[in-house]
Amino acid sequence: MATNLTGKTIVITGATSGIGLATAEELTRRGAHVIGVGRSVGRCRAAEERLAALNPAARPAFCTADLALQSEVRRLAGEIRGLLAARGPAALDGLVNNAGTFTYWLALTTEGFETQWAVNYLAPFLLTHELLPLLAAAPTARIVTVSSESHAHTSLRWADIQLRRRYNGLLAYQQTKLADILFTAELNRRLRGQAPHVHAFAADPGLVDTPIGQKGTPELVQWVWQRRRDAGIPPAKAAQGIIALLDEGLAPRPDTVYWRHGQPRQPSRQAQDAAAAQRLWALSEQMCGTNNGSLS
Amino acid sequence: MKSYVLITGATGGLGKAFAVECASRGWPLYLTDLRPEPLELLAGALHRTYGVPVRWRACDLTDAGQRTALCEALRSEQARFGGLINVAGGDHEGLFCEQTSAQLRSIVRLNIEATIEMTHALLRLRDASETFRIVNVASLAAFYPMPYKATYAASKRFLLDFSLALRQELAGQGVTVTALCPAGLPTTPACIAAIEAQGVMGQLTTQNTGAAAAGTLDAALAGKAVYIPGLLNRLLRALGGLVPPTVVAWFIGRRWGAARRDLGNPAESSILVPEASPA
Ligand SMILES: NC(=O)c1ccc[n+]([C@@H]2O[C@H](COP(=O)([O-])OP(=O)(O)OC[C@H]3O[C@@H](n4cnc5c(N)ncnc54)[C@H](OP(=O)(O)O)[C@@H]3O)[C@@H](O)[C@H]2O)c1
Repeated sequence: MATNLTGKTIVITGATSGIGLATAEELTRRGAHVIGVGRSVGRCRAAEERLAALNPAARPAFCTADLALQSEVRRLAGEIRGLLAARGPAALDGLVNNAGTFTYWLALTTEGFETQWAVNYLAPFLLTHELLPLLAAAPTARIVTVSSESHAHTSLRWADIQLRRRYNGLLAYQQTKLADILFTAELNRRLRGQAPHVHAFAADPGLVDTPIGQKGTPELVQWVWQRRRDAGIPPAKAAQGIIALLDEGLAPRPDTVYWRHGQPRQPSRQAQDAAAAQRLWALSEQMCGTNNGSLS
Repeated sequence: MKSYVLITGATGGLGKAFAVECASRGWPLYLTDLRPEPLELLAGALHRTYGVPVRWRACDLTDAGQRTALCEALRSEQARFGGLINVAGGDHEGLFCEQTSAQLRSIVRLNIEATIEMTHALLRLRDASETFRIVNVASLAAFYPMPYKATYAASKRFLLDFSLALRQELAGQGVTVTALCPAGLPTTPACIAAIEAQGVMGQLTTQNTGAAAAGTLDAALAGKAVYIPGLLNRLLRALGGLVPPTVVAWFIGRRWGAARRDLGNPAESSILVPEASPA
């Protein structure tokens, strides 16, 4: 069955587990060429084999990168450029910034950033910057960043935005998901002038049955998350909502950035603050060293 | 702080927390640790995020020759210093008799010798126009004789006494010395496993590194002698002071013996556990 997504090239981060893996599987079934990203060589290889078994003609590929590090995000972008160049005209139809993590104890990356801030927020910001020329080279392109309804429980703490001094894992997580929406809104504003055929979305997958809260967390946290995920929807269902946004059949609406299950939604008031979005953008450029980038 | 602050062990869990906290306060940094790659990444990110100058140099502080070379380089670079944070330190897992003499020696060299020498060298390179702040990372272990960590805890005791004495000796000369005495910090998977093996007590006594670093710098700027992160830890320390050391050693031996069994005897592995094992 040929669909709008057949033959499209789409990068999905965090494609070795949960929502990202389910999205990669469904896209592969529909004939899209998926480039998955994961942090573990073994899990990447396993996922690649799984996808290839579903639809060998789709020629799925995987890259390994620790998205907690900007140096790795940059290296990854180079690897993706290389992969695309080897296959023909270098263009990218979609980017799904899905990789996400929950860390109970404050952990700083080698580059000194709080890990959730680095993986859940800065990595989407930087990878989007790095891949934008490839996205802009496609006739139309979509950027989907996976956020969460939990963004509504917090606001940005500007004085200590990574919560280093008063760390709380859940609060830090929620802040990254709020930042993802603000980033998407500001990105769309900037794309309108520079590349109007590229459109960005922030997606809330809903509560999904995945192991995200059970990777390296204390036993109690694992127990609590098990109760939560038991009530969640299957990853394949969450994937549908993301795929709907990648499909050019769905028309983006101006000023609508936040979506759930393929339907536009109002994010929290904080997530609609245009001044905060601009301030966050400037701060992120400083953190990622993208001040001279194409979107500045 | 106008002049450089030197941080040893700067790419470890607590060292990074100090580096980020200093940079966020706008302080120029000089970072050192074992390997150049992480130093370069951290220095680059701190510079672009906070706009402060960040220099770095790799050095194995257990090696006397390399320490001398580092101090020579600092002198020839003509950097002036406003502070020194001695974070580099460590322990080797294992019972005393299971540790090799090389391992025991490296504990003493890193925790004691390196701290003395860096302190001595930096005091000669200080910027006389501002108060010089020294922070020595000891541990709550400094207050107690600790079975299973005898050498480590005693080396931390050395740092505590050294800091207190030096602070007095240099009082009135524009130098403050602060000893940081944290309980276990969740910096590495091994440290986190040890904290979690202590159950609720581990959770309650554990402070995040970011809060510990910020609190320590505030304490240093206020000229405090000792800083213990966490109210409960301060309370436990106060109570611990009332009990004879032999009783404390017996009690710790019992609790730790149990925790070690829960962990499936980490003595089997012999990694150099970085700073701040649970105390
Ligand atoms: N589950 C939910 O209820 C829910 C709700 C709202 C939003 N979300 C969001 O949905 C996204 C996907 O989460 P999920 O629930 O599917 O979790 P998951 O099953 O744990 O998947 C997360 C993916 O990200 C990868 N990843 C984590 N850290 C990484 C790093 N440093 N570098 C590279 N890859 C890394 C993981 O790799 P490994 O396979 O190696 O772990 C995995 O592939 C996240 O952004 C999450 O915040 C989830």
